[in-house]
Amino acid sequence: MQKLLRLPALIATIVIASVLSSCHDIKEYADDPYGNFEALWTILDEHYCFFGEKDVDWNEVHEKYAARIGSEMTREELFIVCSDMLAELRDGHVNLSASFNTSYYREWWSAYPQNFSLRVIEDRYFNYNYRQTSGMMYGFLSDNIGYIYYPSFSQPSGEGNLDNVLYFLSSARGIIIDVRDNGGGSLTNVETLVARFITEPTIVGYISHKTGPGHSDFSEPRAITYRPAAAGRIRWGKPVVVLTNRSTFSAANNFASVMKHLPGVRIAGATTGGGSGMPYSSELPCGWGVRFSACSILDAARESTENGVDPSPDCAIDITPADIVAGRDPILDLAISLLSE
Amino acid sequence: MKRATTKCATNSPANSDFSDTMPHIIKLLLLALLILLNPLTARTAEPEAPLRPVFAAYTVEYGTSHLADTYLTPLKYSGTHFGLDYTRYQAMKFSPEGWTMRLHGNLSVDKTDNPARNATMWSAMISLDWAMMHRWRPTSRLTLALGGETGIEAGAIYNARNGNNPASAKGAWTLSLTGYAAYRTSVGRLPVTLMYHPVLPVTGLFFAPDYGELYYEIYLGNHSGLVHPAWWGNRFKLDNLVTADLHFGATSLRIGYTGTIFSSRVNDIVTRRFTHAVTIGVSGEWLSFNPRRPISSDQRIINAIY
Repeated sequence: MQKLLRLPALIATIVIASVLSSCHDIKEYADDPYGNFEALWTILDEHYCFFGEKDVDWNEVHEKYAARIGSEMTREELFIVCSDMLAELRDGHVNLSASFNTSYYREWWSAYPQNFSLRVIEDRYFNYNYRQTSGMMYGFLSDNIGYIYYPSFSQPSGEGNLDNVLYFLSSARGIIIDVRDNGGGSLTNVETLVARFITEPTIVGYISHKTGPGHSDFSEPRAITYRPAAAGRIRWGKPVVVLTNRSTFSAANNFASVMKHLPGVRIAGATTGGGSGMPYSSELPCGWGVRFSACSILDAARESTENGVDPSPDCAIDITPADIVAGRDPILDLAISLLSE
Repeated sequence: MKRATTKCATNSPANSDFSDTMPHIIKLLLLALLILLNPLTARTAEPEAPLRPVFAAYTVEYGTSHLADTYLTPLKYSGTHFGLDYTRYQAMKFSPEGWTMRLHGNLSVDKTDNPARNATMWSAMISLDWAMMHRWRPTSRLTLALGGETGIEAGAIYNARNGNNPASAKGAWTLSLTGYAAYRTSVGRLPVTLMYHPVLPVTGLFFAPDYGELYYEIYLGNHSGLVHPAWWGNRFKLDNLVTADLHFGATSLRIGYTGTIFSSRVNDIVTRRFTHAVTIGVSGEWLSFNPRRPISSDQRIINAIY
């Protein structure tokens, strides 16, 4: 009988243990202005990866904006306060998304010259006589210089498309890859393109992620190695100039940082917009989505490019409104002269 | 043998009687060797092995699910659970009276919404387990069993609104405590078997990325620190299954409740999954036999569960 009683005792122990052990807490917030504000502040506090680079005291930011929260405020009013708080991070990868608006810190590009007019290039440099494939615009410029405009890394470039483009331009003395106004996309598309400009496995950068909620909890940077395009694919070994402006952001910023460290490649134009943090998504009790930089990517020299990639020495140049009116692109002109040397 | 030995001792090797006896001895020795070594021959000498019918149940599950995974969202989602389940019991060959085994497979899909009902999170899990349990029969109607189980589980929780962190992959190999209590009763004239079957993983290994590690980094080749030893402090799971098999004939109707309590915390990532569902399906005991080997009338049948 004693043996019989042991089994129910064991089951009871198991059930009690189950209740006790299943208490892995998840912090909960009320769906009211205070709860949503605290949830947003905490998500960033525990996951955002650039407090150091931005030199932002997040506790101070809490004090500043918590004072603006009131229980009677409308959702629109709450959104404005939360957006203002996020703008303190000065990060184009930080957005708050509600059904009626998406916050966006625009000063990372709006405070700088645009330095790009596609219309000028189409009209004055190509007379609308260019080729297009897989999102790329390409053709020959004067002095036998090849030109590729790559407007977004969101769209994947097929290997066959790249073969065709590079084969078409193979007689050029050098090529210009224009990633101005390229707002980013997928890093795998960056890898596909970079693979045409390397001949051996190459460390192109380092990645570091957060290992805990503390502001200094980061993993050791781990090398990112790209492999050259497969045998049989066309690779480019002649000089390259990459054109950048402040709106070269995120994956395009990463492309510029990778290309800058390759032999025979120069960066011309203006400092890129940065955005080297891989964005992560989360949400608030009211259903608003939040996106923020969570995982830092460093360049091949282990330097952060969150604040942008500078042009190569003697390759920094701006375009003035007068240049645009006159149909000139001094950045493109500089690249042509660099490749014509 | 004695005769041959005597003959050997008293006669010369050239004796013709010896040459007649030797092949006979060799035949006897070979026969003895064959009996010892050939299990087929040995079995024929033993009593008929008992028959071990298979108890199998095929069920569907439908109920509620509560999901949370802080890798994806700090919010708790709730919604619907759907599952397909297969269970197979059979008395074990080495000790059919004392031991039984269970093979179990489950496929489940949960569809849940966030509190604001503007985002959906899915869970898809598949599991396969094998258990062996010792059983006792304290009364003629009650059977209790306790044993161990090993199993694998794989799947993912997917949040459609997320960009670079859309899914949280789940994978585990576990060693569990398990058992059951089966009670035979009747409702009116209908025989019914009531059963409670818990499974409690005790240890094992499970997959989890680091706190803020994106799957892109894993794709790049960083596979360190992804596998974690499991214990109740970092990964707790309890599956409960309560069923009633209504024996209408050769096939039974199985109805019941199934629930899962799952909670893990590793690298400051908390995952929770609580499901409660009704389960309904068919069950029955089947005996497969070879028509070329007819069943003898005195052959015992050992039930898979009782």
